[in-house]
Amino acid sequence: MIRNALSSLLKIMHSEPSRPHTLSNFTTALGHLRSSVLMMASLTQRNLKNSLRGLFERDDDWCNDCIVEDEEIDLLEIQIDKEGFEVMSRFQPVASDLREVISSIKIGANIERVADQAVNIARRARKINESPLLPEIHLLDQSAALATGMFDDALRAFAERNAQLAIELKGRDKELDRQNREFTDALVNRMQDDASNLPAYLNLIFVSRCLERIGDHSCNIAEDVVFAVRAEDIRHVGK
Amino acid sequence: MTHLSAPAPRNFFTQEGTKTSVLRLFRNRFLTGLCITLALFTLIPLFSIILLVLKNGLPLFSLSLFTQLPPPPGLEEGGFGNAIIGTALMVGIALTLSVPLGVLAAIYITEYAPTSRFAAAVRFVAKLLTGIPSIICGVFAFAVVVMTTRHFSALAGGVALAILTIPTILLTAEQALLGVPNAYREASFGLGATHFQTIFRIVLPDALPAIMTGVMLAVARAAGETAPVLFTALFSQNWIHSLMEPTASLSALIYNFASLPYAYQVKMAWSASLILVTLVTITNIAGQLLFTPKHR
Amino acid sequence: MTTAENTASIIAPAGQRLELTDDFAPGEANFIEVKDFRFFYGKKQALHGINLTIPSRKVTAFIGPSGCGKSTLLRNFNRMNELIPGVRHEGDITIHGTSIYDPSVEIIALRRRIGMVFQKSNPFPMSIYENIVYPLRIAGQKSRHVLDETVERALRSAALWDEVKDRLHDSALGLSGGQMQRLCIARAVASRPEILLMDEPCSALDPIATAKVEELITELKKDFTIIIVTHNMQQASRVSELTAFFYLGNLVEFDDTQKIFTNPSNQQTEDYITGRFG
Repeated sequence: MIRNALSSLLKIMHSEPSRPHTLSNFTTALGHLRSSVLMMASLTQRNLKNSLRGLFERDDDWCNDCIVEDEEIDLLEIQIDKEGFEVMSRFQPVASDLREVISSIKIGANIERVADQAVNIARRARKINESPLLPEIHLLDQSAALATGMFDDALRAFAERNAQLAIELKGRDKELDRQNREFTDALVNRMQDDASNLPAYLNLIFVSRCLERIGDHSCNIAEDVVFAVRAEDIRHVGK
Repeated sequence: MTHLSAPAPRNFFTQEGTKTSVLRLFRNRFLTGLCITLALFTLIPLFSIILLVLKNGLPLFSLSLFTQLPPPPGLEEGGFGNAIIGTALMVGIALTLSVPLGVLAAIYITEYAPTSRFAAAVRFVAKLLTGIPSIICGVFAFAVVVMTTRHFSALAGGVALAILTIPTILLTAEQALLGVPNAYREASFGLGATHFQTIFRIVLPDALPAIMTGVMLAVARAAGETAPVLFTALFSQNWIHSLMEPTASLSALIYNFASLPYAYQVKMAWSASLILVTLVTITNIAGQLLFTPKHR
Repeated sequence: MTTAENTASIIAPAGQRLELTDDFAPGEANFIEVKDFRFFYGKKQALHGINLTIPSRKVTAFIGPSGCGKSTLLRNFNRMNELIPGVRHEGDITIHGTSIYDPSVEIIALRRRIGMVFQKSNPFPMSIYENIVYPLRIAGQKSRHVLDETVERALRSAALWDEVKDRLHDSALGLSGGQMQRLCIARAVASRPEILLMDEPCSALDPIATAKVEELITELKKDFTIIIVTHNMQQASRVSELTAFFYLGNLVEFDDTQKIFTNPSNQQTEDYITGRFG
């Protein structure tokens, strides 16, 4: 609970723009937008954690929590788009403010995708839990930690306006892609040997794919953070 | 009227305290009434003069007043055409001298060197001179023109009137020029006009109506002055033939004839007064009406 | 055109009548240069060491808070500030390589090659026709044919011809605010200056009139170098290709408008355009 209180405090601190505008309405509106994104981020973080708990601890309650809470996240995406649009039409922001608004809208969309992936993981986990425990499930430990870490760091970069942190994420995404490929190959081999647990193995492969997607979306969030902070567009560079 | 027994219906705009508002209302109306009464009082002198002049001057009014010469004492006919011409002539000379001088001087102190000490001195002196007794103008013109030319003359009279009107025309022209919006000057300079072009193409034409009003007022004043013409143009019973001759003028005629023991001459003085007052009034009105700017 | 020929087009020896129907060759890249320019109103320094190069046939906007010196600098290009007593300058301003303070340059000739539009429109209290031909008349042009032609050309350039062609001899003061300002623009371009200086030309106009003037500026920049001082930053970003930000008499940043309004290099610029000043 203390952790929740602290994170709320952090949210408030980070939701103020760097320096207040002369027009206080503008400052408030930008603040609201930022808070909405941070709120959505923290809800999604929790959902992701819950869905992975449901997978690894084989507990359907966590999965169900995740699926139910997703509705609130969807509503927040709509709210973020609406608030961003209003700021642009009312205040005609320029320079850093404009970049911040546009990035906030795009990050909102990306967080929603991550939330969707968390829901997918939860659904797959429920199916997997119906079958007996497979030892291969722990091959996913690393990827789960990496994906969760990337998502957390991307959001932290947004909250702290930390472009450097954001840039580092691209390297980790490559690692996640590699782990996904390795896992898929390993499981395909296992499926050939042990055909009885085919559905469970397939679901695990899907879960791995979801984690890889979460890594991609975290990278997108990072790119948007770099654009907002440094006005650099680092997408599609060095491919 | 506010009745204390039945207070006015209360709405958003009514005030508290009917007692104080009755007192305030009474005070307001009393002062308003006082001002109106006093304003009416100021009209009394003007209207009395006009009525008196009309009553005494109309009987003798005819065309012959303009075309004939003053009669010798005792005769009961004639007019004062020469006086009318004399006044017109001297006022004309005065304007020829004072308008260019006054307007060009005003142009200098507003357009060319408005902040210089010289301009400040000119303004100061002009304001002083507006209060100069008109007889001093006459004495000055006497010393300068009559003594040097050894003639009493219309020219001297004109010079005296010029000295009288220069300060007024200068100050009026200055105000007229200051009244031209600076935006016009800026626009003109921005388009690459010289100072001279700006003044004579833009500023002066715009100020002209106000300057003309001032000129008209100066004319009205000069036409009626007696003291300056008394010992410069003297008087004459004849038509004028040259500027270097003495000439009759309306104001001098009134002065001379009003004190004569002949009834006819006195009546002529009244008629001359009527004509003078009419001329002054028409000039004043014309000055204010004709040249009202249309575009402010 | 060589620099010498361009120079001759800017200055005219005393007494020479300028040929106003000549077309001028497209300007060189560096058209107006401000070199370490300092300006003083008496003891008070209004501009501190401005260095700026304004290219030709483009719209440059000067922005900045009140009192930052943008209008002061603008009015120095055609030496209008010299109408104020007690001013002095250090440093130089050159147009086409010739200093405007060169003794051989006549101020009158300089001002005829540079048009100026003021914040509050100031047409003369004359007819529309007379307003526009005024700059030609003061240059000595008498030919009725040339005057008529100029009036039509200038009014068409200012997008005003259709609205007033039937009442050219009516008083200019009977026009609406937006029309008056366009008339002033027409008057300013009548003698085909190369440079057009505009000092907050739209601040007294309603949004529709403002839009018409902005559209006009976009058309005019094909033939003129335009410098516009404006308080309205959206206007600066709509209309200009380059923007200069001034603060307290200093030039803080000068760059492409696009860059200034998406990612300015200077923190002060950013604070000003996003409204974090003060």
